[in-house]
Amino acid sequence: MTINRREFIKANAIAAAAAVAGVSVPAIASNLITSSDITKLKWDKAPCRFCGTGCSVNVGVMDGKVVATHGDIKSPVNKGLNCVKGYFLSKIMYGKDRLTTPLLRMTNGKYDKEGEFAPVSWDQAFDVMAEKAKETLKKDGPTAVGMFGSGQWTVQEGYAAVKLMKAGFRSNNIDPNARHCMASAVGGFMRTFGIDEPMGCYDDLEAADAFVLWGSNMAEMHPILWTRLTDRRLSSPHVKVAVLSTFEHRSFDLADNGMIFTPQTDLAILNYIAHYIISTGRVNKDFVSKHTNFRLGETDIGYGLRPEHPLEQAAKNNGKTAGSSTPIDFEEYAKFVSTYTVEYTSKLSGVPEHKLEALAELYADPKIKVTSFWTMGFNQHTRGVWANNLVYNIHLLTGKISTPGNSPFSLTGQPSACGTAREVGTFSHRLPADMVVANPKHRAIAEKIWDLPEGTIPPKPGYHAVLQNRMLKDGKLNFYWVQCNNNMQAAANINEEAYPGYRNPKNFIVVSDPYPTVTAQAADLILPTAMWVEKEGVYGNAERRTQSWYQMVEAPTGAKSDLWQLVEFSKRFAIEDVWPEELIAKKPEVRGKTLYDVLYKDSSVGKFSLDEVPEDRLNDDARDFGFYIQKGLFEEYATFGRGHAHDLAPYDRYHKERGLRWPVVNGKETKWRFKEGSDPYVKAGSGWDFYGHKDGRARIFALPYEPPAESPDEEYDLWLSTGRVLEHWHSGSMTQRVPELYKAMPDALVYMHPDDAKSRNMRRGDLVKLISRRGEVQTRVETRGRNKPPIGLVYMPWFDASRLVNKVTLDATDPLSKQTDFKKCAIKIVKV
Amino acid sequence: MTDKKDNRPSEYHVASLVAYCILAQVDEVKAAITAVEGAEIHAVSDEGKIVLTVEGTGFKNLDKKIDIIRVHTGIINLSPVYHQVLDEEQEKKLAESDKADALSYQIK
Repeated sequence: MTINRREFIKANAIAAAAAVAGVSVPAIASNLITSSDITKLKWDKAPCRFCGTGCSVNVGVMDGKVVATHGDIKSPVNKGLNCVKGYFLSKIMYGKDRLTTPLLRMTNGKYDKEGEFAPVSWDQAFDVMAEKAKETLKKDGPTAVGMFGSGQWTVQEGYAAVKLMKAGFRSNNIDPNARHCMASAVGGFMRTFGIDEPMGCYDDLEAADAFVLWGSNMAEMHPILWTRLTDRRLSSPHVKVAVLSTFEHRSFDLADNGMIFTPQTDLAILNYIAHYIISTGRVNKDFVSKHTNFRLGETDIGYGLRPEHPLEQAAKNNGKTAGSSTPIDFEEYAKFVSTYTVEYTSKLSGVPEHKLEALAELYADPKIKVTSFWTMGFNQHTRGVWANNLVYNIHLLTGKISTPGNSPFSLTGQPSACGTAREVGTFSHRLPADMVVANPKHRAIAEKIWDLPEGTIPPKPGYHAVLQNRMLKDGKLNFYWVQCNNNMQAAANINEEAYPGYRNPKNFIVVSDPYPTVTAQAADLILPTAMWVEKEGVYGNAERRTQSWYQMVEAPTGAKSDLWQLVEFSKRFAIEDVWPEELIAKKPEVRGKTLYDVLYKDSSVGKFSLDEVPEDRLNDDARDFGFYIQKGLFEEYATFGRGHAHDLAPYDRYHKERGLRWPVVNGKETKWRFKEGSDPYVKAGSGWDFYGHKDGRARIFALPYEPPAESPDEEYDLWLSTGRVLEHWHSGSMTQRVPELYKAMPDALVYMHPDDAKSRNMRRGDLVKLISRRGEVQTRVETRGRNKPPIGLVYMPWFDASRLVNKVTLDATDPLSKQTDFKKCAIKIVKV
Repeated sequence: MTDKKDNRPSEYHVASLVAYCILAQVDEVKAAITAVEGAEIHAVSDEGKIVLTVEGTGFKNLDKKIDIIRVHTGIINLSPVYHQVLDEEQEKKLAESDKADALSYQIK
C-alpha cells in the first residue's frame, strides 16, 4: 500500500509539471489521478507569501497542516510554475522557533526595559502596551506614537492599521517597510503621471520585442517573470535582452547586451538615450505634442541625511522645494539633454560607446516594442524619483507606453507592496487611493467615509521610515509598534540609528512576528503572529492584480494575526483616552465608546455578518470578533477607489478569481491603463489620456546627473552594493527557518573581483572586515560564484542576521521619496 | 514551540520540476539529471523543456539534489512545480482510508 501511495503522489507531481511544460506523459499517471485519492488532500488557492510577482499557489492541507504546494495552472501570472522560494512555502510556517506566546522583558515579574524576555498572556501583554501608549499620548501627544508596517500585511491589515493610527490615535507616524523598496517608484509615478502604479501588465512579457533591465536581477529576484521572459526570448529569435547593473549577475546569462556601469551614472545613461532619440529624429512628435508637457526639475536637492551633515549644509535646494519644477518647451529640453553625448556618457559610466548606442536604438527604433523593468537599482537611489522620471521620459518621447509590449514597468519586492502599502496608503503622508493627509479635501473624504468628525486626521505628514529610527534615537517617538517586517536588519546604518533608538530607555517597542527576528530581539514586547494561510487576506501584486485567500489551517496555539492584534488592541482605548474634548464634541455619540466600536464594529466595517463566512471555512478572526471583518474592511476601503480609477470588484468575487487587475469597471479588469480601448477611464477620441494629471498629459522632466552621497576615496576605496539572493527572501526571517534554503546559501559572503582580492592579499574564503565610516561587519571573501563585481565594487547580500551588512551602509535617502540608497557607499576591506 | 518532525527519516518527499535547457545541451543535462539519485526524467519537449521528479527523505536531502541539477550550465532556468511531503503517520492513515475506499467501491 505504501508503495502505491508514493507512486500516486509522484504521478500527481509528474502530471502537474507536464501540464505546465505542455508535454504529454505516460498514461499510467493520468489514470492514477482520476482515483479517489485526490480528495484526501484539501486543495485551495492562495497568492504566494514571498515576492511582488503575485504567483498563485495551490495549497494542499491534510490533518490541519500544509503538506503540499504546487504552482496554480489556472493562474495567468505563473501558469503552474513555482520558484524555489514558493516551492518551500509549505515549510515557512513550521520553523522550529515559531513563537507561540507574547514575550515581555521583565525583572522580578514586572516589565523592565533591561530585563529578560519572559512569557506573558495576551491580556498581560495588551495591559502593558495600552498603559505605555496612554502614558505616551498623555505626556507627548499623538506625534510620540508610531507604527512601522509592511508590504506583507494583507490589504485588510494595512487598512485597519491606517485607521487605528491616523483616525484612532490621530498620528500620521505610520510607514511601511515598502518605504525601503518602492517609495521612489511611487514618487516617479505621482510626478510623471499623477497616479500611482504601472500602466502595463505581465502580458507585456509575451508582446515585447526587447527587454531592458535597469538595476533588476530578475533571474534571482523575480524567477517566474524571468521564466516568462526566457520563454519569450528563446521562442522568438528576434527578441533582444539588455541588462544594466553595477555588477554582473545571473540575469546577464540571457543578455544580448550586458552593461556594467559606475554607480549613479544610470542617470546620465537615461539622459543620453533621450538625447539619442532626439538627435536621430525619432521623437514621436504626434504623441509628444498631444499627451505630454515638459518641466525643468529643481536640482542640488541634497541626500536626505540629518540636517547637520556637511552634504546637507552644502545642498542649495534640500528644503520643501526639492520636488518643484517649472515649465519648459521641447527645444529647451532637447538642449538640456544634449550635454549627454555618447562620448561623455561612456566616459562617466564606463559603458563602451557601441553598447550604449545599441541600447538607445532599442528605444529609438519605432518598430521595436520595448519593455523596461526595474526594481531596487532605480528605487534605492538618492535620485530614485529622478531615475523613475527619466525612464518614463524615453518611453514618452517615443510613445512606447500603455500598449502591449511597450511598457515602463516598475517591479516590486513584496507580495502586497502595491496592494497594501501603496493602494491602502500606509505611508506617513498618504491616505487610501493616492490621497494625502496634507490635502484638506482628501482628509475630508476620508473622514466622511470613516464617519468621523471633521479635523480627526492630522494634516501634517508623520515620520517616514528613516525618520522614525532617528526620532526613536532622539527620544521623540516613544511608543512604537512594528508588524510584519524585520527593520533592525533591513534599515540602513542600524549601528548609529535603529539600535540606539529601540534601546532608548524613553521608548517602548513592540514587535509582532512569527519568529524571533533580530528586530523582535531588540524589542521590549514580542507578539507571536499568525501568517499567510493561517488567516484570511488579500494581496495586491505589481501588475495591479488583487488576489484573496481563505484561512486554510489553524495558527499554532497562541499566535494571532496582525489584524486580530490591531483590532483587539483598539478595545483597550476609550475615545476619551485618545481624542480631545473639542473633537468629541463635534460627534457626541462617540462618547463612552471604544476605538474598537468607533473604528471597526459600529462603522461600515462591522456590517457583514458571520453568515457570509462560508460554514466549512476556517476564519478565526471573523468568528472571534463576531462579524466578517475581512469583508467589512475590504469593502469600506474599496469605497475610496471606486469611481476614482482605482475600482475594485466586490470582495466575494476575488475568492472565485485568480485575481483581477484594477480598475475593475463593470466587472471587467484593466490590462493597459491610459490607452483608449483598454482603459475605461480614457476619454473617447483621445487615444491616450494620462488622467492622473488634470490636463491629461504626462510630464517629461529635465533632470541632470548628480553625484552620489558617498564615493570611494583613498581610505575607503571600494563601492559597496547590497541586495538579495534567490534562496532567501529579503531579510531571511522566513527562508532562513527552512534548513534547505539556509544550506543552499548559508552565510552572506562578500563577492569581489579576484584582482581586488589579490591586491589586498586575500583569497577566497578568507575572513575579512568590511569597514565604513559608520561601522564594520565580518564575513568571508567569495571571488567566484554567480555575482561577479567589476574591479572597485563589492556586493554583499543582506539576508544574514549574523552578518548585518547594514551596520556599514549609509542612511542617505532620496530627498523626494525618503527611500534609502542601499546600493552605493564607500568602504574598505581588511583581513581579520 | 518546536516541530520535532523536521528531521524524521521516515518522511517521503517528492518534487516535480521543469528544466528549461539550452537546446544544444539537452543530452548533457539529461545525463546530469539521471546521475542524481532519486531524480527521474519523464518527458522532454522539442523546445528543450525537461519534466523531471526528484524524490528524497527530507527537505534537506531533496534540496541538495535539486541544487546539483540547478547549477548545470546547460539549464537556463529550473522551475519547481509540485512538492509534497508524506510522513509515516499520514501514510498509515491514508492506507487505512484506502481500505475503506476499496470497500465502498466493492459495495457500489
